[in-house]
Amino acid sequence: MTADPKAARLQKVFPVDLNKFLPEVILRNYGRWVDRKFHGYGIIEHISETGERVFTVKIAMPPNARLSADTLEQFADIADKLGIGAMRVTMAGNLEILTDSLEKALKIKEEVERMGFPVGGWGPTLWGINSCTAYLTCTTAVVDSPSITKALGDVLKPYFTGEVTLPAKLRVFVSGCPAMCAGGSAMDIVIVGQWGAPPKIREEALSYCLPPKRVLEKVPESQVFIVQVCPTGALALRREGDKVKLVLIPEKCINCARCKENCDAFDYDPENVGVAILVGGKMSNTGRGPRLGRVLVTWLPAIPPRYEEIATVVKRVIDVWREHAQPGERLAEFIDRVGWQRFVEMVGLGKIYSLYQKMPDYVRTYMYFRQRSDAWPRLRDAV
Amino acid sequence: MSAPPGLPPPEEVLKRAEEVLKELERGPWPSHVAELRKTRYPLHIYGVGLVARKSPWGPGAVTVKYVNTGVLSRWARDWVPKGGEETHFRVFHTPGKFWKTDFVRQIVKISRELGVGLIELVGQTGAFVLNLTKDKAEEMVDALRSIGTDVGGSGDAIRALNACVGPALCEFALFDTLKWYVEFHKDKRINDAIATPNFPYKFKVKISGCPMDCARANRADLGFIGVWEGAPEVDQELLRRRIEAGEVDPEKLAADCPSGAITWDREKKELKIDGTRCKKSMHCIRTAFPAIKPGKERRVAVVVGGGVKGRFGPKLGWFIGYLKPDEVQKAIDLTFKVIEPWDKEAPPKYRLGDYIMQTGLEGFIQKAGVKLEVMPQLVKMGDDVPYAVLSKEEREVYLNLVKELKGGV
Repeated sequence: MTADPKAARLQKVFPVDLNKFLPEVILRNYGRWVDRKFHGYGIIEHISETGERVFTVKIAMPPNARLSADTLEQFADIADKLGIGAMRVTMAGNLEILTDSLEKALKIKEEVERMGFPVGGWGPTLWGINSCTAYLTCTTAVVDSPSITKALGDVLKPYFTGEVTLPAKLRVFVSGCPAMCAGGSAMDIVIVGQWGAPPKIREEALSYCLPPKRVLEKVPESQVFIVQVCPTGALALRREGDKVKLVLIPEKCINCARCKENCDAFDYDPENVGVAILVGGKMSNTGRGPRLGRVLVTWLPAIPPRYEEIATVVKRVIDVWREHAQPGERLAEFIDRVGWQRFVEMVGLGKIYSLYQKMPDYVRTYMYFRQRSDAWPRLRDAV
Repeated sequence: MSAPPGLPPPEEVLKRAEEVLKELERGPWPSHVAELRKTRYPLHIYGVGLVARKSPWGPGAVTVKYVNTGVLSRWARDWVPKGGEETHFRVFHTPGKFWKTDFVRQIVKISRELGVGLIELVGQTGAFVLNLTKDKAEEMVDALRSIGTDVGGSGDAIRALNACVGPALCEFALFDTLKWYVEFHKDKRINDAIATPNFPYKFKVKISGCPMDCARANRADLGFIGVWEGAPEVDQELLRRRIEAGEVDPEKLAADCPSGAITWDREKKELKIDGTRCKKSMHCIRTAFPAIKPGKERRVAVVVGGGVKGRFGPKLGWFIGYLKPDEVQKAIDLTFKVIEPWDKEAPPKYRLGDYIMQTGLEGFIQKAGVKLEVMPQLVKMGDDVPYAVLSKEEREVYLNLVKELKGGV
């Protein structure tokens, strides 16, 4: 048997040669940086103990960091002409062009702004908006996060460029479904698409997600993948005579979307779909440390292309924070200081929130079912 | 997904889609639609999705020989007029995500010739994404490998690793994050776990150089975060000079410390930091660097079980102890130690954190056989329900306690 030369692909080629991929000035000053200075928003100067300096210009990218090859090439041209022939991509989806003097950095700023890309971030500004791919490619997204991001960006641009300053750093994540691929809920403001109502099962597509019928008749329910995936036991098998059917018990469903992530047979009605808005999360250990965000609004409709409802709430949260926070206080710490109740009232959501108070806790949490998730199927199997 | 109710006839849908797309090209923020127009991406499908308010994509099947992760493909749903398809690769980023322009031009060339001219600069795994047409998939894999990168990191495998920029461009880096990043990739076991999906669910490894956690390690299944022990170092002389120059206000510095660990002695003009109280918020360091620097006793904090997309909802990781900055090989071994019991026992689609919740952190650490410096002794608070099923061993422990308690009053 001759080995297939393509099997070599199983050994990945990782781009990890620092000497090859890192710019020379970075290699020369690796681990030797001693200070930094800000020159307006979006331009930072790194100073090395060798005396060398690197200026970085932070540029906002389109939602979901999608660039055409043409535009990326234009940025490469700028990096060659005015920079040191290198750029950096950040986890926030911004592009940073590196250069060696402030004059050149300012010229880069001028050129990219002429191309329609704002320069900003760092310090007390909006550092960028992260978006998942949603309708651009994803099969499970319920709302389109890139267009929400675009609508928000249009409203929040002055906070990014520093035309209007904020009390501290702000970051916004926009995810199209509860899988939260834009980066989770541990961020200042997080928008997450959600189904709003339990999914419907599309019988015609279900066979792809279940074992073959003769296997299905024999295996215990707890061994069926799609039943295992549901954290609350809302998906169950009903056996009637020789018929086996997957059913969804709506009372138990918490809309976590895990079934949809694992099987294409779950469907929803766009009328029920909306977004939840979470606030006050962060990842950094600054202030009082990292924490997950909390739900401020459980449901708002997501109506393309301008998403005015969502933009209004986000803008209002930022305005309240701008007006009342102390300098350097991130949204999380601000909410901690004034208290959640006061914050909710300041944003003008007191009424909505009092409705939320009436919802029984157990229907909304994963934790309630934590101990029971395995007990339920076992119990049903026994019966 | 089936067609949404009340979807207008095909021509009307396409017309409305175009209107929505045009609207998304307006406004001061960069537009993804304007960028997509410059590519061969099937934009009408995206527009139809926006009109229908439903994702227009269904799962497709493109296979590339011996590339088991990182290849994803979609078909347009049957209700999308004119239909179409989309395939993309997740491609490994360079360390620190530095792109020299010659590398960028190679990517641009590949994207134009073998792809559709569309690049997603970074996805949330830390990889970048290239769209392509499926007939060019084999060719594109080889082209990417020839310029020194590769396709991979999707499904139930180790995903693309992520490290902050670290010492390459940051004075706060407490250990060499990029060296760790490189060493991890050199390990054969890591390679295999990235190349072939074999686990209950995805597994993410992230490396952050300091407690500000730019790589978001606290949210990874296994995260490494640079810290130091004790108090930050204060260069009193330099600090005094910076205070005189009006660059630092010592009173404010002390007042703003979230740990309340800083005291300013006005008489002696000396700043004291109580190491036992310091919570490593980085506040003083960021304000007064380099007059205040992180302490010299550097450690790498290990956190496990974080994640967003888990069975029991989003979680931040649990701190389980320290490694030393040069113990990268130990860190790689640790990766497979924590993976082992999870891989063996966890039901499908349990993230490591979900599994830890099931076994309890204590039980998990024992199963994984992890031994680290300063492992927290007490990780669990008392339960908030006053009932429990006790095992025989547990009951005996309490019976022993009874003996101790006798005669206490």
